[in-house]
Amino acid sequence: MGKKMMLMGDKDIVATALDDIENADIVSIMSSDNQELYTMEAKEDIPFGNKIALRNIEKGERIIKYNVPVGECIKNIEKGRLVHVHNVKSQRVDIPKAFKEEIIKQMNINTEV
Amino acid sequence: MEFMGYKRPDGSVGIRNKVLIISVDECCEGIARHIAKDFDDVVLLTNYYTCMLGGNEETFNQMIEVGKNPNVSACLVIAMGCGSILPEQIANPISKIGKKVLCMNCIESGGTKKSIELGKQMMNELVEYSNSFEREPVSIEKLIVGVKCGGSDTSSGIASNPSVGNMVDKFVDLGGTAIGGELMELLGCEEVLIERTKNKEVAEKIISLIKNEENRWSVEGTEVETMSIGNSIGGLTTLEEKSMGALHKMGSKPIIDVLQVNKDFIDKPKEPGFYLSEATMLCGGSAVNYASYGAQIIVWTTGGAGFNNPLIPVIRVSGNEDLINDDIDIDATGVMKGIEGINSVGDKIIEKIVQVANGSLTNVEGYGEATMSLYQKDQRVEKLLNIPCKR
Repeated sequence: MGKKMMLMGDKDIVATALDDIENADIVSIMSSDNQELYTMEAKEDIPFGNKIALRNIEKGERIIKYNVPVGECIKNIEKGRLVHVHNVKSQRVDIPKAFKEEIIKQMNINTEV
Repeated sequence: MEFMGYKRPDGSVGIRNKVLIISVDECCEGIARHIAKDFDDVVLLTNYYTCMLGGNEETFNQMIEVGKNPNVSACLVIAMGCGSILPEQIANPISKIGKKVLCMNCIESGGTKKSIELGKQMMNELVEYSNSFEREPVSIEKLIVGVKCGGSDTSSGIASNPSVGNMVDKFVDLGGTAIGGELMELLGCEEVLIERTKNKEVAEKIISLIKNEENRWSVEGTEVETMSIGNSIGGLTTLEEKSMGALHKMGSKPIIDVLQVNKDFIDKPKEPGFYLSEATMLCGGSAVNYASYGAQIIVWTTGGAGFNNPLIPVIRVSGNEDLINDDIDIDATGVMKGIEGINSVGDKIIEKIVQVANGSLTNVEGYGEATMSLYQKDQRVEKLLNIPCKR
């Protein structure tokens, strides 16, 4: 079995990386009870602890993790791509713009897609 | 399920048998420390805030409630004698529930050296009384567990917090009581939380108490860290996501009530089950908050290492392979590696709680314990922000 990502709730549309995932890796999506549910291809690097889109997510949709909304999609996200501060915002207290830019820079996130 | 505990006269049950020395002002703490060093199983609680009662009521209330904690068998209450808190004001409510309490005023006792001598005599009497308690089998319904996180990282939201949540659900099913806190770290979780109560008043309390915390920690012109860049690089995208990870340690059982701690009153659990509370997000202060609610034990999730308390043992749970060391009681790294399920780690935590309740020491118990920090909300700020105390 290859690299793993964990689904935290059965309604989730994102999964969390348990390894450093690289572009084109085939990853196993695991349940929280450690059962492999299915595999999918990563479309970009997803560092350990970060989230992958399990399906195409449209702008305006709410991101579901732990079976609840944890933010709003601000830019269409293709299945297999990184879900993070460049395409999702908080619905409560968002991270200030300057901090977001610093996170994107430090993580070297591709914001062109 | 049963455990072996110390039955107290008020019906509560201790898992440790400690004599508590309460220094009602910081000036007598040195005397208290000098007295304590000749004894085992003694814990020191000092009010460092001011020696006055006015504006110090939340600390005052907590000193009394910690004295009533079931892990305490007897108390020695010491004051220097020049402040405005009299030892009897603390001692009387504690002795009212049947605990043995002695008081000392250092000035009236003839100064430092004479007070130390007298204090040691008093401690001999209290320790002899304390030693009369023996462990006996009692129902797990007498056990109250505080749940707390700190030093959180990616592994907390994936491994340790969900494992502790799994434990909380099982523990409540067994008839035990669990208390969560850190309302500031529940911003964004209100909808999920209010779904967990059928009581409209409790639902309103959840909303308003979280809002109060939001107000306290976001005063205009001051800066409060809600999320660090390190949190985000670790994979957290929004505050809601961070909160949901933290919430995960609180299981899924109905919320019976939100326990409050303030200048007017401190709530206690009235029946077994799961409670939210105003226990602060600051680790040291949270332990004393939990002790004030009557909790005998804390389960703490962490990236690695961290927090300990001399009165209520802290079981540490971590899923971070890089930071794990022999401070950690429960290794949840198997969840991160995908080789162990949350259900299995939850079972291990339950097993550990019962062992620790029966008298087994946690990995760091007896070593390098933290101060019993008496954290309180500043009454002047509360007034300026117009945050009232109400039940």
